[in-house]
Amino acid sequence: MSRSLLIDIRNVSRSYGRVRALRDVTLALEPGTIGLVGNNGAGKSTLLKILLGLLRPDAGEGTVLGYDICRSTSQLRGRIGYMAEAAATVPVLRGVEFVTLAGDLYGMPHRDARRRAHEVLNYVGLGELRYRRLEEYSAGNLQRLKLAAALVHDPQMLLLDEPTNGLDPAGRVAMLRLIEDLIAETGKSVILCTHLLGDVERLCHQVVVLDRGTVICSAPVSQLRSVLDHRYELAWQGPDEPFRRALAQNGARVEAVDGAPRMAKVDVPRSWNTIRFFELARSHGVVITRLKPEEEDLSRMFLRLTGRLADAPAVAAEEDAPHGS
Amino acid sequence: MGVDLARYHAWEGRLQSPWMATLAIVRVALLQIFRRRSYWVVLVLGMLNFLSFWAAIYLVTQFDIPPRVQERLLEAFGFSAYAAPGQDSGYIKFMQRQSIVVMMLLAFSGSLLVGADFRGGALPFYLSRRIDRRHYIVGKLLAISAVVTLLTTGPALLLFLEYGMFTSSASYWLEHWNVALAVLAYGLVLCVVLSILLVTLSAYLQRAAPIAITWSSLFVLLREMGSQFARATNNQYWRLIDPWRDMREVGRLFFGQFDDIERWRFAWYALAILSALCAVALVALVRRVRAVDIAT
Repeated sequence: MSRSLLIDIRNVSRSYGRVRALRDVTLALEPGTIGLVGNNGAGKSTLLKILLGLLRPDAGEGTVLGYDICRSTSQLRGRIGYMAEAAATVPVLRGVEFVTLAGDLYGMPHRDARRRAHEVLNYVGLGELRYRRLEEYSAGNLQRLKLAAALVHDPQMLLLDEPTNGLDPAGRVAMLRLIEDLIAETGKSVILCTHLLGDVERLCHQVVVLDRGTVICSAPVSQLRSVLDHRYELAWQGPDEPFRRALAQNGARVEAVDGAPRMAKVDVPRSWNTIRFFELARSHGVVITRLKPEEEDLSRMFLRLTGRLADAPAVAAEEDAPHGS
Repeated sequence: MGVDLARYHAWEGRLQSPWMATLAIVRVALLQIFRRRSYWVVLVLGMLNFLSFWAAIYLVTQFDIPPRVQERLLEAFGFSAYAAPGQDSGYIKFMQRQSIVVMMLLAFSGSLLVGADFRGGALPFYLSRRIDRRHYIVGKLLAISAVVTLLTTGPALLLFLEYGMFTSSASYWLEHWNVALAVLAYGLVLCVVLSILLVTLSAYLQRAAPIAITWSSLFVLLREMGSQFARATNNQYWRLIDPWRDMREVGRLFFGQFDDIERWRFAWYALAILSALCAVALVALVRRVRAVDIAT
């Protein structure tokens, strides 16, 4: 087992009664920023619990940051900063007291925890608001506060569960920028658990896609991009239907653009050379007037991988909404 | 040179044992209670009872009258520094009176200190740090115990100190040191029983109103039921279904105030009932904390 791996788990399974939440999950991830994506019920939360040492797997073994996920759970949590998705606040406390309490709970000496709380609150931009009661924080500031609580003991790795959940677009951008700066400045490893693929694309260099308790994809984002289908926006003059049929017969997936004639979005395999568009056009008496490459984004790829491409509009709408489920 | 607060700074200290975190839980719990103005009303009630005892001891001991007369005057007020066999010590009586205030305060603080953790998602905040369920439960039990001690054992010990201080010499402290130990032991019983019952109840019921109703019923309704059953069956052991009475009976064990073997047996039964009650509650509490979803 390599000590340099951030996460090294093998054949990890976990069931809740008769429901198998995770099935034989094997992951070997290098330090860096990793996106953990999946639909509701995909097993993300269970995997998080196991990575945090809060839940013992039924089968399998592994290490996180070199610590055994079954036997060294306390040391493990001392190295990880966890930012929960839920509000998870303690009533009546002020911001600085909340972050100090987080430091105390990690086992920091109280004086250090208090001093450090002031530092990290300043760092996340809550220096002016640190003496406010938690009930008075806005959603965006509450997320920053939770990030400060995760950072207080200077962990090696951050585990961020839906950090932009419930934020308005401006708040989301600000939060992403803060995390981006943090990663750039400290070089900390980050596991970003989210269903917002835009966040993963922006922050992560690696993505793990979970579906129904299994890992269906684990690869660097750049590598995934390279295996993505090439996508083009195509417009032409001449016969419409025969040209669409010819494209489909040659392995392209043709998608209408708002029902407009002689226009389509075409997904073609990577082996496809653009010259073939022109060859097909010539053989069908068509003149291509537009050929614009488009990159398939991770959300489309995720839907394709999980076989839910047909639900794409609904999922896209969900991603646009500020409140994720 | 000043610290650049806009930049991230590493921390290079060493983490302590997670058991130290239980002190942080206690500190935060006390902070939560003392920040609620409404709780100060109950605290002031407790203080008034203590101050009335304090004033009575002070006034009586300042009269130039024989010690026996002083004792009679204090007994008339409900306090006796020298309890005769078969009679309650003044300290037990004082702590029992304080317990009414404790019951009221705990009835409302259960939801704030424990219920809110389950209801508002603070439990994941605690358990995802370095502590586990043991530390969390011990921290909360200590927090409740601190409140109980603040209102019962602490003031009772102050009265013990006051009586010794205002009477002629230190002989009272030296001759009755076992009274101070008994106060501590009785206080420990109150802390253990009340904290376990309250934390368990709050973990299950969570909201203030159900906790207050159930908590009050536990101590008022059961007392009444015990009395009714005892009268109807002419069996005094029915009175043991009242936890307050059980705690007082166990307290008498420490003060050694038994004039017959029947009372002695009664106290041991009370201890057995309280032990069983606490054991069941503790198992239920551990199961409850374990059952909560941690990383949602």
